[in-house]
Amino acid sequence: MNAGFLFVLPVIIPVIAGLLVYFRPEYREEAKRVAFVRIMLCVTAAFVFLIDLLPEAGLHLFSLTPELPVLFQSDGMAKIFITLVAVMWLASGFFSFEYMKHEENHQRYYLFFLCSFGVLVGLGLSANYLTMYMFYELMTLLTMPLVLHSGKKEAVQAAFKYLFYSVFGALMGLLGFFFIYNYGTTITFTAGGVLDMAKVAGHENKLLAVVFLVVLGFGTKAGMFPLHAWLPTAHPVAPAPASAVLSGVITKAGILGVVRVIYYLIGPDFIRGTWVQYAWLGLALATVFMGSMMAYKEKVLKKRLAYSTVSQVSYVMFGLAVLNQAAFIGAILHVVFHSFIKDVLFLAAGAIIYKTGRTNVTELKGIGKEMPIVMWCFALASLGLVGIPPLAGFVSKWYLAVGSLESGVPFFNWFGPVILLASALLTAGYLLTIVIDAFFPGSDFPMDTLTKKEPSYYMTVPLIALTFFIVWLGLFPGGLYSMIESFAASVF
Amino acid sequence: MSPYWILVVILLPMITGALLPILDFKEEEDRGKRQLFVAIPVILNTILVYALILHKPVGDLTLVHLTKDLSISFRMDGLSAVFAGLVAGLWPLSTCYAFEYIRHEGKENKFFAFYTMTYGVTLGIALSANVVTMYLFYELLTLVTVPLVMHAMDKRSIRAGLKYLAYSIGGAAIAFTGVMILMNSGDPSMTFYYGGSVTESAYLANPTLVQVGYLLCFFGFGVKAAIFPFHEWLPAVSVAPTPVTALLHAVAVVKAGAFAILRITFYSFGPGILLGTPAQGIAMAFAMITIVFGSVMALKEQHFKRRLAYSTVSNLSYIIFGATLMTPYGFLGALCHMLFHGIMKITLFFCAGSVLVQTGREYVHELEGLGKKMKLTFFAFTVGSLALVGLPLLCGFISKWKLGTAAASAGTTFAFVGILALLISAVLTCGYTMPIVIRAYLPREGFDESQNETAKDPGLYMTVPVLILCAAMLYFGMHSGPICDALFAVAAGLI
Repeated sequence: MNAGFLFVLPVIIPVIAGLLVYFRPEYREEAKRVAFVRIMLCVTAAFVFLIDLLPEAGLHLFSLTPELPVLFQSDGMAKIFITLVAVMWLASGFFSFEYMKHEENHQRYYLFFLCSFGVLVGLGLSANYLTMYMFYELMTLLTMPLVLHSGKKEAVQAAFKYLFYSVFGALMGLLGFFFIYNYGTTITFTAGGVLDMAKVAGHENKLLAVVFLVVLGFGTKAGMFPLHAWLPTAHPVAPAPASAVLSGVITKAGILGVVRVIYYLIGPDFIRGTWVQYAWLGLALATVFMGSMMAYKEKVLKKRLAYSTVSQVSYVMFGLAVLNQAAFIGAILHVVFHSFIKDVLFLAAGAIIYKTGRTNVTELKGIGKEMPIVMWCFALASLGLVGIPPLAGFVSKWYLAVGSLESGVPFFNWFGPVILLASALLTAGYLLTIVIDAFFPGSDFPMDTLTKKEPSYYMTVPLIALTFFIVWLGLFPGGLYSMIESFAASVF
Repeated sequence: MSPYWILVVILLPMITGALLPILDFKEEEDRGKRQLFVAIPVILNTILVYALILHKPVGDLTLVHLTKDLSISFRMDGLSAVFAGLVAGLWPLSTCYAFEYIRHEGKENKFFAFYTMTYGVTLGIALSANVVTMYLFYELLTLVTVPLVMHAMDKRSIRAGLKYLAYSIGGAAIAFTGVMILMNSGDPSMTFYYGGSVTESAYLANPTLVQVGYLLCFFGFGVKAAIFPFHEWLPAVSVAPTPVTALLHAVAVVKAGAFAILRITFYSFGPGILLGTPAQGIAMAFAMITIVFGSVMALKEQHFKRRLAYSTVSNLSYIIFGATLMTPYGFLGALCHMLFHGIMKITLFFCAGSVLVQTGREYVHELEGLGKKMKLTFFAFTVGSLALVGLPLLCGFISKWKLGTAAASAGTTFAFVGILALLISAVLTCGYTMPIVIRAYLPREGFDESQNETAKDPGLYMTVPVLILCAAMLYFGMHSGPICDALFAVAAGLI
């Protein structure tokens, strides 16, 4: 039996569940709503994990026109992405049950939170450009209300900024779609690329320009310079669990787009050694450095984390732009690790806001004593992001650096690792200072006056679970590594 | 079917319309009778049109010979079928919508007289077999629609009507000069042939003249298609009652302009002669300018219906852009957008009209929070907006896809710039539609809900057509294989 029909379930279940939560009056009651959402999150995640366990399969749902079929598949890249989505949504979903108590419009929040879950799974499972583009656009539209949630002026402006940047980026992707359809043999993702060199001959320059625009377009979602400006505005204004998935997972949707287009449609050989590769490397490194600098200067915790996302996702972009296997593996590892780490950091920031109302990093002195579990998770995640072994972030950065050094790309092969290192130092500067202040506020700080403010299990359990994975994956990255290696080998 | 049926479908609505003032139904008391008197011929006519499309009459129907060469003749070919099918599909829906809407405007007898006549005239344009016939009905279309624009008979609408008249007559005059040149450069009867009626030898004798002739026709007919800089009448006539704005100024009249451009490009002058000439470049450049310009103006415009009108300006040039690519794929993209934009824009206008009669609000910032009160209307508006932006699964994506791939396959730098224009316009489209949707559903913090208390969806006459159109957008968005095949057959000159 073809397991393909399973693909529809984790896409459609959360969407239907979201609509039920919104439209059925009985879910106005907190207890019933939480119970229902909890079950639906678990069911969807269970289907996702089931797809992970089954062998690769495909599903042709229907066709818009004969040349535009809606196709699903579960290759290695897809499995990694949907697993990541499911884990993050579970963690942030459970966290929401407590956090959302101090926000309004719960039904609306869960509508969009659940719908975007389904759409993200669909995005991960897409087997061709059309399907991916469709879910990509839907993702923008369905996550935008999460940014807008509070309805404050600042949130409305941020949401529109998010919407326009994202739509603009997606349309650059559409531009690429037109050309890939024209110069390729198929629009189905095929490891190594689908370009028909006979058709391309004579149009290389135009196609390279298009590829560059596509990278910029999907890079918008990933917060890559020069289209990054929306990210530090939009991510912090959403409710904390929504910021967590926006920063942790939805930025990776941009990465997924780039991986699919460059490695599965255009083919890395087409751009290797061209100006596109150098420009891409340059932009990624610029973003890495700039993001870290901005994070270092920023005083509002959630904004600082958003700038950190700008920087970290471009580590991934850098790894993809190097165009060799080690860097590719490093990039995908960093996708996974950064998701876990950034989720923990944003959820911890959310827990702090929820319990104490503090948003500024200067107000966090001594908070390690008030909320020890939250801050321990925060501390471990920070160390992971800096890249201190044996935590998760170290492994990915190692492969990024190794890949870059052995790539033979002039100038960038050594300049890349230097920037990554400088950025790691800045990361230490903007995250570890918070940790140090939280636990060691100085001898003149009245530690005795502090009271325990630890949040409930809905908040601490997701944090602990994610932090556990950060440590676990740092210690034993072998399984994940070999899984990524198995499909990384096929694209080169 | 016999070609004489073509005459029936053109004359039936015209006669029905002409009889209305003679029968003189009373405004209030005879409303039911009048509606029946209008509805039956309109529906019957639509059925006949579809029967004609499915069983094409063979050969032309020549009514009169004006001179030795010029004649009034009709024919049902592929392109006629597309335009006639679109018009015939939308007319009963808008008539149904108008039954309820026009109660709020008054003077129903007069309105339905001209409205129904326009149906026949538009079909006349669609079914013309040569330039002269098309030109005749084209002028007639202006004349029967002016009273509809002036319906309210206040100062504003009279001024708009006169502006419309001036632009349309002026445009037709420019086109007429082009037609003169066309007449002397090939087949003097100017019958439409796929590939063009201009002969190679006539073109080579004076290439500049032929190109100038094409451009004169292009801009002349382009006035009705609201091409920049002749677009100004279109936002102005949005003062007309909504069924007029929706059907005539988003579909019938403006698409008659686009249809005429398709005719003269592919069936009179012919892409074989025009491809790669400066004339093609100039036409394409103006299409691109209009695409972006219309969207920018729509973004700036705060009046709801005028914003949609500017959006029409932009979208009509999508069609013209497809035409000026002068390839079968470009033609296909143009045809797709002609159909799908018709469906999308009429839906959006219907929604705007519903808001107008139910709440009296005309400006976009007054629509905040209405999504919760006028649920069906704003549901339809959301679907229409998303389709217009080009979300896959809705029909707008299909036409954008066809246009984009056509431009990409044309391979010229100019076409590449055209794709960028389409994409910029798509971002702007998102900018002028999505804020309306978002504000309607997610009002800002501290928004006073009480001002919307009395707002509610209009009656079934107005909501049912809108919902049918939404279903059509979804259907064509998800399953447009068969229709695209049929349109490609038209674009490749097979039918």
